[in-house]
Amino acid sequence: MKIFVIGAGQVGTTIVQALHDDHDVTVIDLDPARLEPLAHRYDVSTIEGNGASRSVLAEAGVASADLLIACTSRDEANIVSAMISKAVAPMTTTIVRTTNPEYLEVWREGQLDVDFIVSSELETAHAVSSSIGVPAARQTDVFADGQVQLVEFDVEEGSSPSVVGVPVRSAAIPKDSKVAGIIRADSIILPGGDETIHAGDRIVVIGSPAAAQAWSELIAPGSGKVTDVVVFGAGRAGTAIAKMLLEQGIGVRMIEASRDRARIVAEGLPRARVFHSTGIEPDFLERERIGEAQVAIFAMRDDMKNHYAATLARVHGVSFTIAIVHDPPAIEVFEHAGIDVTINPRAVTAEEIVRFAHDPRTQQVSMLEGDRFEVLDITTRPGSEYVGKAFREMPIRGALIGAIVRDGTAIFPRGDDVLRAGDRAIIFTESKRVPEVERAL
Amino acid sequence: MSPQAGRARLVGRPRSLAVDLRGVANLVAALTKYLSLATLVPAGVALGSGESPVPFLAAGVLTGGLGWAVERLTRGDHAVRPREGFLIVALVWVVAAGVAALPYLFSGEPQFDRPLDAYFEGMAGFTTTGGSILTDVEALPHSLLIWRALTQWLGGLGIIVLALAVFPRLRVGGRQLFESELPGPEIESLTTRIRDTARRLWILYVALTAVLVAILWLYGLSGLDARMNGFEAVSHALTTIPTGGFSPNARSVEDYAAVTQWTFVVFMFLGGVNFALMYAAFVRLAPRRLLRDEEFRLYAGLLALGAVILGLELAGAGVASGEAAVRHAVFQTVSIMTTTGYSSTDFAVWPTLAIMTVIGLMFVGGSAGSTSGSVKVVRHVLLGRILRREIDQTVHPELVSPVRLNRRVVDERTLRAVSSFILLYIGIFVAGAALIALDAARVGLDLRVLDAVGVSAAMIGNVGPSFGIAGPLGSYEPFSDVSTAVMILLMWLGRLEVIPIVVLLTRRYWRS
Repeated sequence: MKIFVIGAGQVGTTIVQALHDDHDVTVIDLDPARLEPLAHRYDVSTIEGNGASRSVLAEAGVASADLLIACTSRDEANIVSAMISKAVAPMTTTIVRTTNPEYLEVWREGQLDVDFIVSSELETAHAVSSSIGVPAARQTDVFADGQVQLVEFDVEEGSSPSVVGVPVRSAAIPKDSKVAGIIRADSIILPGGDETIHAGDRIVVIGSPAAAQAWSELIAPGSGKVTDVVVFGAGRAGTAIAKMLLEQGIGVRMIEASRDRARIVAEGLPRARVFHSTGIEPDFLERERIGEAQVAIFAMRDDMKNHYAATLARVHGVSFTIAIVHDPPAIEVFEHAGIDVTINPRAVTAEEIVRFAHDPRTQQVSMLEGDRFEVLDITTRPGSEYVGKAFREMPIRGALIGAIVRDGTAIFPRGDDVLRAGDRAIIFTESKRVPEVERAL
Repeated sequence: MSPQAGRARLVGRPRSLAVDLRGVANLVAALTKYLSLATLVPAGVALGSGESPVPFLAAGVLTGGLGWAVERLTRGDHAVRPREGFLIVALVWVVAAGVAALPYLFSGEPQFDRPLDAYFEGMAGFTTTGGSILTDVEALPHSLLIWRALTQWLGGLGIIVLALAVFPRLRVGGRQLFESELPGPEIESLTTRIRDTARRLWILYVALTAVLVAILWLYGLSGLDARMNGFEAVSHALTTIPTGGFSPNARSVEDYAAVTQWTFVVFMFLGGVNFALMYAAFVRLAPRRLLRDEEFRLYAGLLALGAVILGLELAGAGVASGEAAVRHAVFQTVSIMTTTGYSSTDFAVWPTLAIMTVIGLMFVGGSAGSTSGSVKVVRHVLLGRILRREIDQTVHPELVSPVRLNRRVVDERTLRAVSSFILLYIGIFVAGAALIALDAARVGLDLRVLDAVGVSAAMIGNVGPSFGIAGPLGSYEPFSDVSTAVMILLMWLGRLEVIPIVVLLTRRYWRS
């Protein structure tokens, strides 16, 4: 495929990283300093120029593109790029990144001639809501309209001995779930049944939402159900997060330092309780009993403010903290400070775009551990060699079918279940095996 | 001009007035001129029933001529700015009450021997208060009774609204004027053009009146209510829809059949509904908008609650029982809360507890954008929410909590206006009650303090009858000139919802 990526920022770079191996990628950006490292590391062509300019696009040969991904940080520039590309070559698939959920709405109503729109805010909110649903999780992804969850846990001392310290085969694993992988010291084990989960491992579980809850309870006993969440920062990301949580019936308190912004958000989200405060005044935290919140989410624009506020909230007793981290290197700082979950909006956005850029049959993809592992959602071809085979007969080749979706319902297959043509298989695999798995199915 | 001369001019001139008085006079005069046309209706009635049309024609010619003359004298290019708007609206109502009073004075009717009494009757008409200084209403000729009812009908939706709806060439285009006369916090325009909105409201108003006339007349013709005839049907319809309350009968609507009284209940109820919403419900066939409206729901809920409380009090005290207890409780609740002022029974003789309930109802009012007076339900809704927020913020000082009405955020200015309105309203009501009570004591009038409280509430709320000597079967005639003047002021303040008039009393209004 001939792919054009407009914007070589963090999102663009992540996308290039994921796609350069199999595709013919051209990157356009105004800033040569961003293009240079890309050209060094990957076999891609780079063009310095404005991606929203018709002449630049024409010269770059956008007319022959199969796919155009406009992922600069400027919404309008992205939309213009996609519009021009559509005008020049109507067959090109276009993907636009936006930071404004309103464009997403406009697109959903069919008023924007773009094939796919990804809103960073919404993806971020999605990621947050996934990790809140499973309190002990490091990361959660949902598939098949939420029927299947993929959850990453850090196994710590104090986790239930019914799953930890015993071979996976004989462990009391919750119904409708599977251990897809054990990550230990930067290497992954796809457990065949003889391996044992130890404290200090990171494990990947695929299962039903109920099973994910059960796992959460096993890994971190006493984490319970979430009813009280505090969101620090009522910018677009914070607001999108609050909105999504409120829709799930979770009580949300929001803290915003700007009076005007607080007012706007309070007007927009009637069910949230919005406070006008910096969120770092001990008096305020004490008065509002912020420490009693089950989850605190830090969605302010400034990583450093988030870091300080999150640490302060932990001091006040918040047990579960989620931070939106904008600068990738900062993730380590947050993790070091004991922040439970970090979400990088650009990474989740890139992930969503890459998902769409993959095989059209692939409905959703999620990346774990940077991009070393992926979760694929593939519809089985009638001609696949695996159709009609029982799951126990399938060879483990660095890939694992965690669940299948048959006629819209998720099934968590046991050994003697049989794969049928048309089943959607949710597969956990190493990135380098993705093409192989796609071919096989 | 030399500097000296310039300075001399500066010193010599008084500080300029910020209000375009000529413009105000011009518009008020024009409105008066048009208003004088209304006297043709009772004049026609007089001719039809063999009474003298002279009082009406004389009043019409006098006010029409005066209006015409002043309008010509003040001709020019005038801009009606918000500032002028307040004064125009305030003056129009003063003048209108005068126009209403002239036929009473010219009629030679001995009950109108005091000019202030005639003016009171005029103000009680246009403000749809419905309190009367008449001691023997049935002694009046039909034409005068129709005029009395007509003033309430003309005042019901507001004189400015009427002018906007009926006279296309009148240079009143302002939303400002419209809003200072129909000032509920939540008046939404039906159309982008305020004139079209006014016209639609009036079409609905006329239609409702016509329907009520037809129903009442039909009761009379069919024998459902033997007392009802064409004249009474018209005079009651003209004072029901505007929640006015004038009745040509000495005993108000007491002697009518139960079915007639229930019909009044329905139409008084409609008179207290927001006309814009009613237009949406009836004309645009979107009744859900009405049923979903928070103010409408509370309006209906409060009426039901008031009726239940009053019914229990009446049944408990043994004043009435069975269907009559239910009917009187419902009728009086609706009549008082919508500030109509009809009576299905003499509520002035009710036990104190029931009287206190009725006084309470006088402070509720109907919906904003209706023909009713008093505080109005939407302000109670908003005040409740303001207080709830205030209490919430006492515990959580940083809480940002917008107040909503019908899921829409109400801006803080409106909220402040609601609080100030209620404070001013209560303040003026208390002052009025005190003045009336003191004055009654001065002239040795038999008026209990509770009665004085009721009178003040009934006047500022544009309800009409109250208690004691001023009960439904009584009259405002025995009060002294001082009290009458206070009551006229209260009616005027209440009808224009206090703030536009209080504005006129500030220095900053007059000076730039």
